Amino acid sequence: MDYAIETISLTKVFSDWWGRAKAYAVDDLNLQIRYNEVYGLLGPNGSGKTTTIKMLLGLLHPTKGHALLLGGDGTDPKINRRIGFLPEESYLYRFLNARETLDFYGRLFGLAPNVRKMRIEALLEMVGLRAVASRPVGMYSKGMARRIGLAQALINDPDLLILDEPTTGLDPIGTRQIKDLIIKLAERGKTILLCSHLLADVEDVCDRIAILYGGRIQAEGQVRELLQQSGRRQIVTSDVSDEAVNKIRGILESENAECEITSPMEKLETFFINTVVEAQQQARPTSGAVSTTQIGEFLMAEKSQAGILDKLVSAPVSEDKPAESPATQRIQPSEVPAPEPDRNLLGELTKSTPPAATEQVGPAKPAPSEVAEPQDRKVRQGVLDALTGKTPPATTERPHEGPKDEEAAHG
Amino acid sequence: MGRIWAVAVNTIRQALRMKIALIFIVLLLVLLPVLGLTATGDGTLKGRLQTFVSYGLSLTSLLLSLLTIIVSVYTITSDIEQRQIYTVATKPIRRYQLLLGKLLGVVVLNVALVTLFAGIVYGVVVFLPGFYDASEETLRQIDNEFYTARAGLVPAAPDVEEEVTDLYNRLERTGQLREAYPALPPDRILRELTLRKQLEKRATGVGDGLVWEFQNVRPLDPNQSIFIRFKYDVAVEPPNGLIYGRWQIGDMRQVRYGMDFKTPIWPEDRADPVRTFREIEVPARVIADDGYLAVGFLNVPANSTTVIFPIEDGLEILYKADTFTSNFIRGTLLILFRLIFLACLGLLAASFLSFPVAILFCLVIFFTGTVSGFVLESFEQLSASAWQVYSYTIGALVRLLPQFDKYNPTAFLVPGRLIAWSMLGRVLLLMVGIQAFVLLVLALIVFSFRELARIVI
Repeated sequence: MDYAIETISLTKVFSDWWGRAKAYAVDDLNLQIRYNEVYGLLGPNGSGKTTTIKMLLGLLHPTKGHALLLGGDGTDPKINRRIGFLPEESYLYRFLNARETLDFYGRLFGLAPNVRKMRIEALLEMVGLRAVASRPVGMYSKGMARRIGLAQALINDPDLLILDEPTTGLDPIGTRQIKDLIIKLAERGKTILLCSHLLADVEDVCDRIAILYGGRIQAEGQVRELLQQSGRRQIVTSDVSDEAVNKIRGILESENAECEITSPMEKLETFFINTVVEAQQQARPTSGAVSTTQIGEFLMAEKSQAGILDKLVSAPVSEDKPAESPATQRIQPSEVPAPEPDRNLLGELTKSTPPAATEQVGPAKPAPSEVAEPQDRKVRQGVLDALTGKTPPATTERPHEGPKDEEAAHG
Repeated sequence: MGRIWAVAVNTIRQALRMKIALIFIVLLLVLLPVLGLTATGDGTLKGRLQTFVSYGLSLTSLLLSLLTIIVSVYTITSDIEQRQIYTVATKPIRRYQLLLGKLLGVVVLNVALVTLFAGIVYGVVVFLPGFYDASEETLRQIDNEFYTARAGLVPAAPDVEEEVTDLYNRLERTGQLREAYPALPPDRILRELTLRKQLEKRATGVGDGLVWEFQNVRPLDPNQSIFIRFKYDVAVEPPNGLIYGRWQIGDMRQVRYGMDFKTPIWPEDRADPVRTFREIEVPARVIADDGYLAVGFLNVPANSTTVIFPIEDGLEILYKADTFTSNFIRGTLLILFRLIFLACLGLLAASFLSFPVAILFCLVIFFTGTVSGFVLESFEQLSASAWQVYSYTIGALVRLLPQFDKYNPTAFLVPGRLIAWSMLGRVLLLMVGIQAFVLLVLALIVFSFRELARIVI
């Protein structure tokens, strides 16, 4: 079976000047990441996550073992062409502005000028940096640098995306945005290796995870399998009367089962985002938290510039990569419980931004079970497709942008 | 190629926007015009021009050399230390393409800057006389001695090998060798004897004469003048410090074979001070059609001493072989070759050293290169055993480096000497084609195999 990423007893020993082994950063690591999988590499600081990635990409040489990317060597330009990489920090040229940065990386991929231009503009739009695109990257805040770093990793429409701590430095809204992007990319048939120690990020988006410690895999498997507590059940209801609750308690007690009844807590993330969006709608000035307002703009922009994400990623696997279809054993996102409420959240966010409908913020808040997915998808479909040359269904919704993008896509 | 060019453009942007290049550019833009006003030399217009060309080009060359070293080292080490290399090296670009892109960027930057600053120097040099109320005579002198590219021909060293061998054997047989040269090894004694014999051939007693023959004298314009540049040395100091000489310049074969004179023989009687450079101006039509020219000197009886023409610089024929402009362009190319070498050196140093160490390494090589002629010469002065040790160790290393001082354009442009295309070609081949190329190949190998994510401390 082919794997998107495969390592065979990959080992990295850092030795001192005399050649004596000092530390096993990665120790006999065997990773097998399937095509079209979102794979999370978890571990505390110094557990070997980044070292593994560096060996995959040929930035470090393995002491022992092999690393295969898309069936080949990570230093082969043919393989690099299909890879997007976001390092642990956005290491970018401080003297270039955002547009020049993307142009430089686009040239390294040998993208044709018209394609390059189209992708740069779409990416700047997507990461919400269009307004500051002519400012040197060195002046960016950490969150902004992270965004341009992400845009850089997507410039070539990669099949395999390697993200090292993609959400560091981003505020909750930016984090939410990146997680959402990962899910969207996975739906489009991309393979993603996500490296993080922020457990919430990984839990929300990954199909499979591995926990690394001391350079070795300590646990590996599907997120649901690893986290599901066998022998326990959870019931979530709408607001029912105390009477009904007591009845249920009675039934459960007759079964001799322990039970605990509380009101479900809202996730802090959801609460935070809703609060910020509400504040934005009231045009309350923020003191210094520049990135927050910009993310707000980004969200609004996404609403009006419908479907940028769709532009950036190639359309379904079946059309683009028939060869990969047999190998693709993607776990259905619907099987994994975590992503569902998140997609709803994005739906809420996009809905709740002006001029859409202010009143929707209220009802949206306590309704994590309602799936807003179709609308969300419609919003983003167009841009993803346009970027890969497919006619975007959403372009008609934004006549002022449509012709330019289409022209570029066909050129 | 598109990728290499993208890296090159990025390197130029880095040099300009990180203000490294900017500082040097501003410095030169300020200093060059100031030099044009302040460099006075010996006060004459010619002195002014010579001083300005000398200082201007030397300053340009020095500052651009430093700039090249800094930019070429910085562009690699900062990428590695600030880790932009993570995002660049993982793109579909080979490591060698990355390095070649950096080199191309530095070279393009250098070509632009050398052109700019050499252009300024040239402009000042051409327009400077316009600001002075120089006499016709001065202008003519400057035209002959500065705005020119004169080729110099020195007489071939006479073949004295047989005589030296004879002398050596005779001295050895008679046992005088040990007496005259007690501590020297045989090869050094031979060298001494050779020098002695050669000097004998360049000395003439009272009433006697010397004739030198030159082939292939080809002035740019046959209607102009050629110059015999000479310096007298004497056995006994003449009372008034002057040597009287009768010179005859022309195709002497006509005299020897009694042919009809096709070209004139130029006679000149003159008195010149000893140990001072003098020039005789002779119309170029004295040169035979096949480029042959003979120069005869008669030690007239008015002198009462043997006259010696020192081996190093006793006699030389000078003639305008090219224009000042094209000579100046070749001088600029010499600077550019040096910068290309330094760029390759910087890339090599940066491929395995950290920024400060790499800079230091390059500066040491650079300054060794600028004094290599002096260093090599000083070895000759050492005693025999020490000389051998040095010449096979440090000497060998120094000889591997380019000799910047030997190919310094100001050494040619100030006295209006020709920088021949053949010499330029030799320098190009040696400094760029071999020395810089070897450094570049080494840099490519080191850079391709090193672990980019490992920081050199």
